[in-house]
Amino acid sequence: MPAQQPPVSFCLSHGLAAHPVHGLPQQAAAPPVTKPKKAAWPPAVREYVQRAFEPQNAIEGVTPADMEAKLKQTIQYFAELNYLDQLDWPSYPLPQKLVQDERDAAAAAAVAAPNGYGYAHAMHAAHAMSSVGSANYPSSSFSSSQPSKKRKSADMEAFNADDGNAPPWRKANHSDAHTSTKQEKRHKKNESAGGNSKFYQADLEKRKQRFQTATSATQSTPPWSDSESSMPTGPVVGTNMALEKSYFRLTAPPKPETVRPQHVLEKTLDLLKKKWREESNYNYICNQFKSLRQDLTVQHIKNAFTVSVYEIHARIALEKGDLGEYNQCQTQLRALYAQKLGGHPGEFTAYRILYFVYTCNKTDMNDLLAELTPADKARPEVKHALDVRSALALGNYHRFFRLYLTAPHMGGYLMDMFIKRERLHALANISKAYISVTLRFLTDELGFDSDGECLEFLAACGAQDFIEEKATEKGKQVRVNLRGTAAASVFEGLRAAAFKTVDIKGQI
Amino acid sequence: MEAIIEPFRHAHASGDGYAVSALLSPIPPPYDPGRLYAFYRASNEQRIDPELRYALKYSKGSRIPPDESGAWADMFVLYWRAVGEILKVEEGSNQGRLGDRQWVAVYDTWKALTDSIQRYVSNGTLPFWAVVCMYHAASNLRKFAIKADEQLANTKGSVTFNSGFQDDVVDSLAKTEKLEEAARLFNRMFALCLGDRNPDLRESRKWGTYYMANLQFKTYFKLKTINLCKNVVRSIEAQPDLPPLTLFPKAHQATYKYYTGILAFLQENYTMAETLLTEAWRICNIKAAKNQELILTYLIPCRLVAKHEVPNQQLLARFPGLQERFGPLVACIKQGNLAGFDSALTAGEEEFVKRRIYLTLERGRDIALRNLLRRVFLAGGYEELKEGQTEADMVRKSRISLAEFGAALRMGVGGGSGQNLEDDEVECMIANMIYKASHSPTLAALMRCYHLQP
Repeated sequence: MPAQQPPVSFCLSHGLAAHPVHGLPQQAAAPPVTKPKKAAWPPAVREYVQRAFEPQNAIEGVTPADMEAKLKQTIQYFAELNYLDQLDWPSYPLPQKLVQDERDAAAAAAVAAPNGYGYAHAMHAAHAMSSVGSANYPSSSFSSSQPSKKRKSADMEAFNADDGNAPPWRKANHSDAHTSTKQEKRHKKNESAGGNSKFYQADLEKRKQRFQTATSATQSTPPWSDSESSMPTGPVVGTNMALEKSYFRLTAPPKPETVRPQHVLEKTLDLLKKKWREESNYNYICNQFKSLRQDLTVQHIKNAFTVSVYEIHARIALEKGDLGEYNQCQTQLRALYAQKLGGHPGEFTAYRILYFVYTCNKTDMNDLLAELTPADKARPEVKHALDVRSALALGNYHRFFRLYLTAPHMGGYLMDMFIKRERLHALANISKAYISVTLRFLTDELGFDSDGECLEFLAACGAQDFIEEKATEKGKQVRVNLRGTAAASVFEGLRAAAFKTVDIKGQI
Repeated sequence: MEAIIEPFRHAHASGDGYAVSALLSPIPPPYDPGRLYAFYRASNEQRIDPELRYALKYSKGSRIPPDESGAWADMFVLYWRAVGEILKVEEGSNQGRLGDRQWVAVYDTWKALTDSIQRYVSNGTLPFWAVVCMYHAASNLRKFAIKADEQLANTKGSVTFNSGFQDDVVDSLAKTEKLEEAARLFNRMFALCLGDRNPDLRESRKWGTYYMANLQFKTYFKLKTINLCKNVVRSIEAQPDLPPLTLFPKAHQATYKYYTGILAFLQENYTMAETLLTEAWRICNIKAAKNQELILTYLIPCRLVAKHEVPNQQLLARFPGLQERFGPLVACIKQGNLAGFDSALTAGEEEFVKRRIYLTLERGRDIALRNLLRRVFLAGGYEELKEGQTEADMVRKSRISLAEFGAALRMGVGGGSGQNLEDDEVECMIANMIYKASHSPTLAALMRCYHLQP
């Protein structure tokens, strides 16, 4: 990597953090008068504090914790200069405004820095810092800012949306850094000042506990941790040329030397496809695909290639029945198709329909039906999936098993997930309606490949007692005797068990 | 200014929450359509705060305690700002040039007002009846949020880039940012009402619980996050000291039953859904035709599936909307006209899917099928008379041949073009009916002595 200048963002945010006092005349600072020890805060300061907490003054994206940290910092700064009385508090900008200005300045600096490289540098710094000790990251705030993708609830999304411009991890670290160092200083100062404003102090403590669950282990925060806040979140430009890379969940911004650029990833995809055909080692393939997806994400690559990566991974996951991974891909694909990047939206819409059939998710199925356009419905895969749905809804098992045998693409794999359940349902039906049936009839009607397979299935259900062989004029005939209630109750029980709610991780 | 302060003092003195909330409404009352405009024009950004504060706090006519009057002054100032934005939108849309973010501005200012009401109610500055103001403000906030989201969706793309450490490319499909934000506020309000610990029930904020719950239901349905409704129901059920639902205003009761009924309906718990919706129907105001129609929209499919009952003509005739929606379906079910049923279902599919009743109505096909079978049975005629039997001893044929029923099906399905129906499929349908007959007494009577013999 070529040598380049340290990013501007550092200097800028440092400057702001060190001088939070815009427009303060320098000569007025630090008058030599010793303050009376017992003095309470001047009313102007109190008013300022009050104003800062008024909700109408809140700025979106600046959390109360950030605002308080800034507020403390500001007041402390002026207190140390003994400037509390002189300052024109009513016209002094509110802490949330200061925080926002700082962020804007940092963001502007990040934009000014050459794309990618600036980020890379910032990342080095961040990495160095995290190696100083994990103590810098109070575990609770960190983990809460790392939403797990697997079960992403609506709350989580809301949480992300709430933050607006500041990503959660940045903010969490930012506020922690402030509160911890400042809090420490406050302690010292109060001790020296004979513990004035105990009341206020107690309040602060309480608030601190409210906003910051992990107060210990924050002692070692390096003074330059403020630079964290200036880290841009722009795309990384990868420099890694290796084709294979195992997946590792990111806990810090990625380093460009570990990320592969798109032309390498394309070769990776070819390699993976080849390996899958030859070796079929699912664990390896899944792992490789996850790292492939991660590299695409951190580089903000969103094009036809991205779509094909997700599609291929989804298909492989389907083939192996890994519904969790399949679901993740499906969710992403849905959003990617919305951007019209090509791919096979029809095929995957069909999978979604079949998937909801599998999970018996009526609410989502309804939402999906509402989304379908007439053009979608005309696609053969979608039409097939819709027919499957309606056949099951109407209890038409005959048609259902015909459709099972003619499922396009990977639809058969998805239908495999619920085929047993539907066979039991059909058997429960048949056992009520017929006195006895031939085995061949069941094989045909329930979509088995051979009589043997059907027999195996019946045996697995514990129905071997009902099977009897009869010699007819045409030769041997195997029949299933369904007279009486015994068979019906067996199948009915199995059916009921099979239809209990399906719960799969990572549901859409 | 006095035009709004005077009625406020009056309403405040009598503790009439509804009157006060009417004064904080974004819609001017019919008898004074220019009220918002007059109120907004009576002051400006600089003067509004001191003016209101003076009027509420220091003037002689005021008998409100200082804390509380400060709170009211704050709220009216925020209200004044919101009114300003509302008037701008009105002006903009009248002149046909609505700014890009104008509804968003209305939403933001109105949210500030709602927030402050929530806060003052929460910290006890305002009297208990102010919950009425709170929920009316919240209800309007919901409307503004929807408008703001519509506007935002038109002006910016729908998919955002993932900027965190996520493994995947796309972050979320959020197109309803403002409404989600509002929903969180509603949840706080709901918790505030539900968790009120005032021992005096007459002054409890608990009376706002069901209103807020209903508002949350409405919002979650709009957001398509219906599963969040269950949390609301659960926390209401877990609150032991909540007064019984029957003591709440009828409007709250009806709406609550309606929504819980739909929730049960969506979980396919049709028995419970039927009970709840029937109660909602009973409580619902006789003049609220639209609400009655909404209740019936779910109650009819519910009864159809749970009890195999179809609505009669008199009921449908009272509601033209329902007649249009369900009329053809009901007629086809009665006739056993499968082709007609299918086409009626397809014709109404969009509407049914939107109402989330499509999948339920689809099951009505079973009943149409049953009626068709019944027709075949009746058409089958009587057993031939044996010797010594008279007309009075005539019995119907107890068996229907598969071929006959198959013919009937083929005539019905696809308007006579259902020739490609396989015999096995006909058998399958019969088998289905036999199976269902074991669960339903009506069918059982019909299907007795019916066995298939392949």
